[in-house]
Amino acid sequence: MPAGPTGREVLRRAVTGQRRHVVAGSVLGAAHQTGEALVPVIVGVVIDEAISTGASDRLALWLGVLAVVFVVLSLSFRHSIRNAERASHLAAHQIRAELTARVLHPGGGAETGRLSGELTDVASADAQRVGAVNLALPTATAAVTALLVGAVSLLRVSIPLGLLVLVAAPGLLGLAHLLGKPLERRSHAEQERAAHASGIATDLVSGLRALKGIGAEAAAADRYRVTSQESMAAAIRAARSRAWLDGSMLAVTGVFLALVALVGGRLAAAGDITVGQLVTAVGLAQFLLWPLSIFAWVNGLFAQGRASARRVAEVLAAAPAVSGTGGALPSPVRGSVRLRGVSHGTLRSVDLEVAPGELLGVVAHDPADASALLRCLGREVDPEAGTVELDGVPLSTVDPADIRTAVVVAAHDADLFEGTLAQNIGTGDVAPAVQAAAVHSVAAALPDGHDTLVSARGRSLSGGQRQRVALARALAAAPPVLVLHDPTTAVDAVTEVEVAAGIRRVRDGRTTVVVTTSPVLLSTTDHVVLLAGGGVVARGTHAELVRDDETYRAAVLS
Amino acid sequence: MNREILPVATGTRTRRAVRELVRPHRALAVAGFGTLVVGTAVGLLTAPLLGHVVDLVAQGRAADAVTLPVVLLAIVAVVQGVASAVGVSLVARLGESALAQLRERFVDRALHLPLDQVEKAGSGDLTARVTRDVQVIAEAVRTALPVVARSALTIVMTFGALALLDWRFLLAALLAVPVQLHTVRWYAGRAIAVHGEQRVAVGAQQQQLLDTIGGASTVRTFRLADEHVARVRRRSSAAVDLAMRGIALLTRFYGRLNVAEFIGLAAVLITGFVLVGNGGATIGTATAAALYFHGLFNPINAALALADDAQAATASTSRLVGVIDQPLPPAPRVVPAPVDGSVKVAGVGHSYVPGHDVLSDVDLHLVSGERVALVGASGAGKTTLAKTIAGVHPPTRGSVALGGVDLDDLGPDGVRRTVALITQEVHVFAGPLVEDLRLARPAATEAEVTAALDRVGALAWASALPEGLATVVGEGGHRLTVAQAQQLALARLVLADRPVAVLDEATADAGSAGARVLEQAATRALEGRTALLVAHRLTQAATADRVVVLDAGRVVETGTHAELLAAGGRYAALWQAWSGTRPTRQSPVAAPRVERSGTTS
Repeated sequence: MPAGPTGREVLRRAVTGQRRHVVAGSVLGAAHQTGEALVPVIVGVVIDEAISTGASDRLALWLGVLAVVFVVLSLSFRHSIRNAERASHLAAHQIRAELTARVLHPGGGAETGRLSGELTDVASADAQRVGAVNLALPTATAAVTALLVGAVSLLRVSIPLGLLVLVAAPGLLGLAHLLGKPLERRSHAEQERAAHASGIATDLVSGLRALKGIGAEAAAADRYRVTSQESMAAAIRAARSRAWLDGSMLAVTGVFLALVALVGGRLAAAGDITVGQLVTAVGLAQFLLWPLSIFAWVNGLFAQGRASARRVAEVLAAAPAVSGTGGALPSPVRGSVRLRGVSHGTLRSVDLEVAPGELLGVVAHDPADASALLRCLGREVDPEAGTVELDGVPLSTVDPADIRTAVVVAAHDADLFEGTLAQNIGTGDVAPAVQAAAVHSVAAALPDGHDTLVSARGRSLSGGQRQRVALARALAAAPPVLVLHDPTTAVDAVTEVEVAAGIRRVRDGRTTVVVTTSPVLLSTTDHVVLLAGGGVVARGTHAELVRDDETYRAAVLS
Repeated sequence: MNREILPVATGTRTRRAVRELVRPHRALAVAGFGTLVVGTAVGLLTAPLLGHVVDLVAQGRAADAVTLPVVLLAIVAVVQGVASAVGVSLVARLGESALAQLRERFVDRALHLPLDQVEKAGSGDLTARVTRDVQVIAEAVRTALPVVARSALTIVMTFGALALLDWRFLLAALLAVPVQLHTVRWYAGRAIAVHGEQRVAVGAQQQQLLDTIGGASTVRTFRLADEHVARVRRRSSAAVDLAMRGIALLTRFYGRLNVAEFIGLAAVLITGFVLVGNGGATIGTATAAALYFHGLFNPINAALALADDAQAATASTSRLVGVIDQPLPPAPRVVPAPVDGSVKVAGVGHSYVPGHDVLSDVDLHLVSGERVALVGASGAGKTTLAKTIAGVHPPTRGSVALGGVDLDDLGPDGVRRTVALITQEVHVFAGPLVEDLRLARPAATEAEVTAALDRVGALAWASALPEGLATVVGEGGHRLTVAQAQQLALARLVLADRPVAVLDEATADAGSAGARVLEQAATRALEGRTALLVAHRLTQAATADRVVVLDAGRVVETGTHAELLAAGGRYAALWQAWSGTRPTRQSPVAAPRVERSGTTS
């Protein structure tokens, strides 16, 4: 896997990948702002050339010009926004797909140190923020254009008036920004506190069954009331901060306009500019506040985009957990698994051999031993010491994608995905697997049988149903080596017996390892090994171990 | 399963409910809107003052003459700013108070809905209302309300001010209104539909990402990566397409408003031209009128763009009011007190779908303090029987009595005070750990909470959390393992201290090692209570006072562990397979069925 991009490259690719839309959005945005700037100019001209003089042909001419300006500004706005938004959304989409592909890469490693919620956040919110740079660029271009057109128009009216506006307006905005900053910060903090109430309400409703089970409805409602009142107080404080921020902006803008009127009025009274030009100047002064204030917003978008691009790049560039060095598995795989001196996590130089076609039970006294063993067998990691071999080939030399065709480790908490029950299990001849995992009784209890839609992560099924479907999927994959971890913990005692026999039947002649403490499953195995204190402490048949080994009895039968 | 969604209030009822919410804050409403009116009125002086400056200049007055109107302009700006800040603050207080009341009533009512009704509606319905609908309304109150309030006042009063300048200016400005009204009607309906679809598409995209990324190791194991990348692409594309449709709609909306702007501005300019020409108005008045109208662009756009938000908020409110208006089940006037912890199930039958019995003719008697384990295959009716005894589902036939009192006579509150139910869906409530436990007994002292944790063997890990019992757990807090979460549920059971407890598969998801710890915890939590537990591991059954085997909704065996083993029936076969005392490769289910009558006591 090539080394991933840096944050800067992510950002650059997001822009260049959509450059046609970004350029179109920028050019049209500039056209739109030019149009907006011309409206007050034309109003001033109409007052000067038509209303003051009574020349109706001039009125008709300039209204015609005004109409053209409106058409231009309206159409250019429409297409500028569409192009910019499209560029932003498509760039985010592209990043989302790349991130997903990286996370799912057979070598893994992208999840290391990250919760799945965080990764999802990177693929949604961060991707969106990187994309938003494509919105910021055209907006910035438009604002610069507006500033230039406005400035030129003002300076053409009067140099001193133009200079006044161009110097005073940024100054005033800077002042407002300074005034507003603490208010804004406070308002933001209060808003977060206000959002807390909705989080608590959602939490209580999702725990409704637990609440009702212990009759805690009234206690929960009381608790919510307290949170809601606190949130209300916070929201009111936030709104007040925001209201004063907006109010002070309103006042500052008004005073600024008064200043322009004062200077413009005196210039007009002195005959330096016309009445219409005075109106234009006032209109332009008002108009220019937008591009000036937009720079802060654009800056914010760029800063967010840069930070998000860094997070995206970190995931894309994450080192794979495992990779191959050209080792190749024999075809077909016979299924002889051998661990030589494997130390990993809590495991201490474990030697273990699984003969081709054997059904081996593994009982781990400490769950940490089980999970370390499973991770090594499925090659999610390479052991810290020792080797895991399949048919004599060290797994650490084989491309992880090839290993997954030969070895399937069905985790205890394996996920189901959105789709029908049948789609989750797989394609091909799945009937024996379905039968073995007792999925027929799951299907029978569902409205549409095997065609029942399963919601994301299999949430619409009970724990026991989910576990059986996941087991059927593992059996249906029919790999040369199958490792099952606690496949029946959520299955009722009656069905467990049926499933244990089913696993034996379906896996007949193929290497299977069952990591479990269930005596029902263990009694169907050929041999069982007992792991304790990081090493193999006993090996034998289930019956022998039950008879002879105290630790084994404690682990399995208590 | 056919869904019966929770009720939605009518438009009339929703409006009345909103009035009821605002009524206690009438003084606040008057003060808030009054201040905004004053602020807006003062703000409208800007245009005539500028017009006055223009007139002074046009009349050729000395440069100093403009000073006074300019000073007035500055004062107007300051007054307007202050009034707007005060007014918006007051309106926000009004809106937030009403919103808080609305959501509190909703949550209170929602928590008291019968579980039966929530399950029929699908729990997603209630969750959507408490998250999205409350969010939509809050959003409207926080962002739309102040903007709409200020913009609406500005618009109305600007029209008033135009009329004061000359009624013909008002007439000219009003030419834009039909276009605007038509545009907003055109937009609002479409926008709600598109935004609704967009929310769904973004939700689906998010869900797909969670599904795929959360299940990444499963995806890799089964080599489903290509398919999952395709799924994410598909969902993401759908979301992008809908976002673009929303943008297209929005830009067309503004395009139409541009037409209205041009019509109005041109009409006002023409009117000014005519009036100045015939001496009906000064140039300053014409200027003021043009400025007034130009000043309307932003407030009109802002207010109209929020039309769909307002409509969405109304729809959300009607969904909340629909639940709030649900009548509480009548509480029996005199609640007879249960005399002991006994449970008597007599001739109970239950069917979710008419004609399809999940339970039939179940008779079961638990004496006070007895611990009974329910054993049976999935679908045998264990969960339904557990829920029926806990009062979640009223039985279709027959009766259930707790402590000698029928469930109906106990009423919902009486049932809750008598029986506690723990299901396999564990939930850790967000917040400090100690507060999670206090939900079961709000007045519990620190010592009582500690004792409860100790009893279920959770004190060691709970005290070892970063901040001990004050550690924030649950959503967004410290993550607990499934086994720990289930121990918390058992600790809540201890604190709730009901005479009867029903445990349904509470150890199912914890893995085999965790299950053993939980079984011990459950045993201690159930001491001194009558308990019915849906046994998962047969050790639970072995240590129970009595075992009841259910099959296809009927009790087929009942007796102590030893009795049932001796009887050599289904339970005995299960036990043998389970305990491995007779290692076998053939399924013991095939052993001859020993049907026994399902009666007890």
